[in-house]
Amino acid sequence: MDTLLLARLQFATTTSIHFLFVVVTLGLVTLLVGMQTAWVLTGNPKWERLTRYWGQLYVINYVLGVATGIVMEFQFGLNWSGLSRYVGNVFGAPLAIETLVAFFLESTFLGMWIFGWHRLRKGVHLALLWGVAITAYASAFWIMVANSWLQHPVGYEVRDGIAHLTDFGALLTNPSLGMAFGHVVSAALLVGGMLMAAVSAGHLIRRTPDFVLFRTSLRVGLVTAALAITMVQGFGFAQFGPVGSVQPTKFGGNNPEAQAQIAEWTTRFGPGDYAPPVLASVGLGFMILIGFTLGCVWLLLPLLFRDWIIRLRFPLWLILLASPLPFIAVILGWIAREVGRQPWVAYGLLPTEQAVSPVGAPVMLTSLIGFSLLLGTLAVTNWVLLARHAARGAADPALGRPPAAPGEPAHPEPALA
Amino acid sequence: MDLAWYALLGLFFGGYLVLAGYDYGVGLLLARGGGPTGRRAALTALGPFFLGNEVWLVAAVGILFGAFPVLEGELLSGCYPAVAGALVGVILVTAGVQLRSRPADERIRARWDRMVVVGSALAALGWGVLLAALLQGVPRQADGHVAGVSHLATPFAAAAGLAMVALVAVHGATFLTLRLPVADAAVVGRTARRLVPVALCAVALATVVGLLSPRVRDAVERPAVAVLLPVLLAAALLAARAALARRRPGWALAATGAALALPVALVGAALWPYVLVSTTDPGASLTVADAAASAPTLRLLGWVALPLLPALLGFQAMCWWVFRGRTDGRAPVYW
Repeated sequence: MDTLLLARLQFATTTSIHFLFVVVTLGLVTLLVGMQTAWVLTGNPKWERLTRYWGQLYVINYVLGVATGIVMEFQFGLNWSGLSRYVGNVFGAPLAIETLVAFFLESTFLGMWIFGWHRLRKGVHLALLWGVAITAYASAFWIMVANSWLQHPVGYEVRDGIAHLTDFGALLTNPSLGMAFGHVVSAALLVGGMLMAAVSAGHLIRRTPDFVLFRTSLRVGLVTAALAITMVQGFGFAQFGPVGSVQPTKFGGNNPEAQAQIAEWTTRFGPGDYAPPVLASVGLGFMILIGFTLGCVWLLLPLLFRDWIIRLRFPLWLILLASPLPFIAVILGWIAREVGRQPWVAYGLLPTEQAVSPVGAPVMLTSLIGFSLLLGTLAVTNWVLLARHAARGAADPALGRPPAAPGEPAHPEPALA
Repeated sequence: MDLAWYALLGLFFGGYLVLAGYDYGVGLLLARGGGPTGRRAALTALGPFFLGNEVWLVAAVGILFGAFPVLEGELLSGCYPAVAGALVGVILVTAGVQLRSRPADERIRARWDRMVVVGSALAALGWGVLLAALLQGVPRQADGHVAGVSHLATPFAAAAGLAMVALVAVHGATFLTLRLPVADAAVVGRTARRLVPVALCAVALATVVGLLSPRVRDAVERPAVAVLLPVLLAAALLAARAALARRRPGWALAATGAALALPVALVGAALWPYVLVSTTDPGASLTVADAAASAPTLRLLGWVALPLLPALLGFQAMCWWVFRGRTDGRAPVYW
């Protein structure tokens, strides 16, 4: 196996795992902001309990998003040093801005939010969660700016074989950015909403004690998912125009524009296979199928009237069974966007094989196996923990537990432990 | 402009070593026994700062990529095993600390804690080796690429890695002396004082091996600065020991923190104007100016960073201020 393939496999593995966790982060934090704001405004303890329960799941999920994110950031230098060498002047800027503007603050705020219960004033504590959410969206935005530049490089000029930044504004008005950002953000909301609805449905099926609580989060999740799926579909189809015009080969090499583009590349870069692998179109097709299937969430909304959705029970099962679908769809969508960019790392500018680091295949293979095993194991462990905490119910999540009264042991440990 | 960004890169990487250094130190000290309650208390002391500490690394690499793209590619891929090892350590610590308390079974928690111990050691070792690699030079060829990874396997790199582990352990013990309730702090304070001679020996070993290494002698541009490094390190460690003996854990933490920030600053200064010195071809050495991104990129990032930096440091300071003081029975427990 050659270094290029190994490096690509490693990036695909890390990115896929990363993406599965960050969409949940982005979707859940939006719903959490709503819940905690409702608690602060109304003082209704139901919202506090919902915030603690979903906040606990959010925080567990956050761990793997960070762990995989750090690996991804380092991977550009470890495995793709050509990327930093040839286009780092332009591509590096939005990534640097993302780490400083967004991620740095996001984690700082989140640390204070987790430990700030019962210690900070309610308003400050809520402001911290708003900060987490706003920086999470900023993070998604800057990552999409960087990614869109790889899809359609703009605002640069090449001198001595190296790209230099000429117009940063062009990166922000990139035609492959706007609709894609909307698409990704609404997909995250869809994932968050569906997850919330499915976990609540599970509790309602098992008839666990907290009926009122899970009835509320079922309704919140379902309405969010319904609104989000419509936005996902809208932003998704709106992308065909701009993407087709700047990346003619993305949806296969058979249309006339793609043929013209391939002919131009052949004269500029020499003969080669410039059509993306068929996997991209397959991913796109199945994603659209799932998108239409999830559109049926709207059919469930009338059943919220007089709780028919809970009394009939079979809709709850439907929601539970549909919960993996949005996750599969986001991975397929990512495949369509990223595999459809091949064989370029920066479309029409830098071929993928020129970007890979000149490290030996054995080093790359060790790294691929090591990181895949580590992150894969951690991901599975994390999902098991998430499922257990979700199933345990909202009785007493560790997050936001009030400190013990003075004189009592802070956290009574079982006597026989 | 290059120099300002180089300093900023140093600030964030140094800040990372100082702040996450005590995370890893506390992680290493989980191995010293004390049972489930002791380990839980140590992690509670870390509590609110943990998430805000490791982000300094992410910011440092962000700056490395944005402002020094060429250096990013060559340094990380050229020192692949050191960086990948440190990275595995960082991930083990991140996941271990945050997830260890989610299962209720103490045996499973102990397993997660062992993972944190291993991760802390790996992270400290990896960053120590990376700093040593800068100081001993890399075989950068005329085509601009670093050839192979076997250049890392030197006694100096190993000694520097071990010295970093020892420094981090002292730093973590000092942090716990500052944060734990008074009764527990006395115990861990004794551990910290006993660790100081160990760290001194490790630094001395790295110094001797470094002085004997022809690669280090050739690569260093300013020998005076390089010699200053172990001297200042020893001074900081002795100051920490004295402060611990006088029950001034705050001053001791400042001293051990300085011991972790100093290597970054002095390695940068000792190599200036170079950043990657080639051991095979003097013409292939990479200067800071050559490694930096072109002027428009640096200008853009400057306009972003200028107003942002006070906010970043301000919110970090807010976290330190809100959760200052020793932990007690009423401290929020989450990890």
